[in-house]
Amino acid sequence: MAEAIQKKLQSEVEKYQQLQKDVSKSMSARQKLEAQLTENNIVKEELALLDSQNTVYKLIGPVLVKQDLDEAKVTVGKRLEYINGEIQRYETLLKEMEKKSEQHREVLSSLQQEFQRAQGQAVGKV
Amino acid sequence: MTSLDDQMAAPGKVKRSNDLPQGVERLKEEHKKVVKDCRSQIAHWEKVEKDYDSLQDRLRTLPDKLSYDIMVPFGPLAFMPGKLVHTNELTVLLGDNWFAKCSAKQADTLVEHRKKHVKNALDDLQKVMKNFQNRADFTNDLEKLTGGTGDFVDIREEVKNEDEVTKGKHRLAHKPNSKPKQEYFLELTEDKEKEEGDEERKTGVLSEEELWARLDELECQEELQDQRYRLDSTDTNGEDTTSSSEEEKEADGGSSVQVNGHQKENGWAPSSLTSQMNGTNGSHPEEEEEEEEEDCEEETGNGLPTIYFSHTAELKKVRINTGKNTTLKFSERKEQKEQAKRKKKCGRSNSLNESHKITSPADIYRVFVDLVNGEPIPRKSILKSRSRENSVCSDTSESSTADFDERRATFGRSWSHDDATHSDTSDGITEEDSPTGTSPRANGRFEAFTGTVIEKDPLPSSIPHLTIAPPALPTIPERKLEELGPEAPQEPPKRMSKFKATRLHQK
Repeated sequence: MAEAIQKKLQSEVEKYQQLQKDVSKSMSARQKLEAQLTENNIVKEELALLDSQNTVYKLIGPVLVKQDLDEAKVTVGKRLEYINGEIQRYETLLKEMEKKSEQHREVLSSLQQEFQRAQGQAVGKV
Repeated sequence: MTSLDDQMAAPGKVKRSNDLPQGVERLKEEHKKVVKDCRSQIAHWEKVEKDYDSLQDRLRTLPDKLSYDIMVPFGPLAFMPGKLVHTNELTVLLGDNWFAKCSAKQADTLVEHRKKHVKNALDDLQKVMKNFQNRADFTNDLEKLTGGTGDFVDIREEVKNEDEVTKGKHRLAHKPNSKPKQEYFLELTEDKEKEEGDEERKTGVLSEEELWARLDELECQEELQDQRYRLDSTDTNGEDTTSSSEEEKEADGGSSVQVNGHQKENGWAPSSLTSQMNGTNGSHPEEEEEEEEEDCEEETGNGLPTIYFSHTAELKKVRINTGKNTTLKFSERKEQKEQAKRKKKCGRSNSLNESHKITSPADIYRVFVDLVNGEPIPRKSILKSRSRENSVCSDTSESSTADFDERRATFGRSWSHDDATHSDTSDGITEEDSPTGTSPRANGRFEAFTGTVIEKDPLPSSIPHLTIAPPALPTIPERKLEELGPEAPQEPPKRMSKFKATRLHQK
């Protein structure tokens, strides 16, 4: 009886740990996105400081490709929106994972209690 | 900063679950870690800023010459002499694989723009670091406090017999453990039972209407109490005035509190509270009679140093600053006289009572006088003229500071004092003063009464009404004065009318 509970407990613990890892992965991805967000914001502002007389290049692989200033601005804007969307997505994902991990925690605690009780009973019996 | 927040959250949770010392240790570690992280980040950003500064310098000097002779790095280990040409044409990395060709000046502008961002980041980091530093200090203090090794002292006052303090039935607010009204409860949760007299007063958010309503309730309470007190010994009268006056004083002293109700709810706990207020020492002679002035504290060495308050029979010399120029000094002659009298206590209890005990507002006037230019001048009394016949008070309101005038004006009374029996005292409001009272009241500027109070020795002295009503509730102490007078039948109609009159006038 106690052993069955123990096995259950272990499996639950593993699941919980897996969930935690996913949470942390999402967190780091989100942080990266945030860094990109700030960077693109800076690029946008600096592009605004330039005038059309300057040529803008984009580094694609080893090649610097000439871009139009306005095009560049539009592209950067689009990228910003994309990044924002990604961040939102990750936010919701994180929230869900948080909820799930909470549930798991509860399950774990209840299992632990059962386990303790079973152990206590076993000791009592013995 | 989310990671930092998480770090903060973790130790908080840990602390609750672990033992206190362990938790505190862990908390401190986390604090230190965060602070260290902040410091390293700040160092990093400062380096970046310095780099940008030197870059700007370079940009400014670069276009000076058409070409420079330089040693060009050739691979990681070799250099080659060469020339730097097109010195004004720069390809700037804007971030995220975007480049722009621009002149040196434009590049300069871009660098400026980036430096702004860096500065922002630096400021944020500084703030975070300071925040966490404060938290760390706080936990340190907390540890010291619980360990009893710091400068914190626990002040305790043992109340031997509660009846001594307030005779008769307590008002609900005065009972130390009674639950205050629900509406005030939330704002008082922290203060309610602190014996150390933590003075944080929450500024009430009661509207004026509510304040008036509250005032009405309190009026009713006071009426009831007044009836009770009439049946009680004389002591209670004085104490009641002082209690109400104390409340008023609490209202004014110290912080900017608008709600009187709060102070009332704070209850009697107060003598320690008042001790921390401006010039609260001055309130003591007024509020507490000779038997009940604060004694010196003793420190005990048990764990947390504890100071035990106890009330003794010693008169305390008090200084109350009444504001502008007048100061009330505790008259030494009076003090000596009282001490002498005390020695012959038994036989002269009556006179003793009269000269020492403040059983009525008239006694207050008798005991406390203004000291203007070295001369004791009785204060303007608000008592009725007939009691003024025996009194030595001045009839003008110029005997005190403007502030005080305002305060008293709010009551719309003139001060008077008498040395007659307490039953004869304080008839309360003189009608003629109410008009004048209402207009100054519109100012609504009240300050805590700080000043020295002189006890006038041979002549009956006037005790200025040292309590200051908060802006919205001006007449509680006067109410007290009125109630103490025996002219109960006369007073209620007057009181109500005047009160309402002032209120209406104010509105």
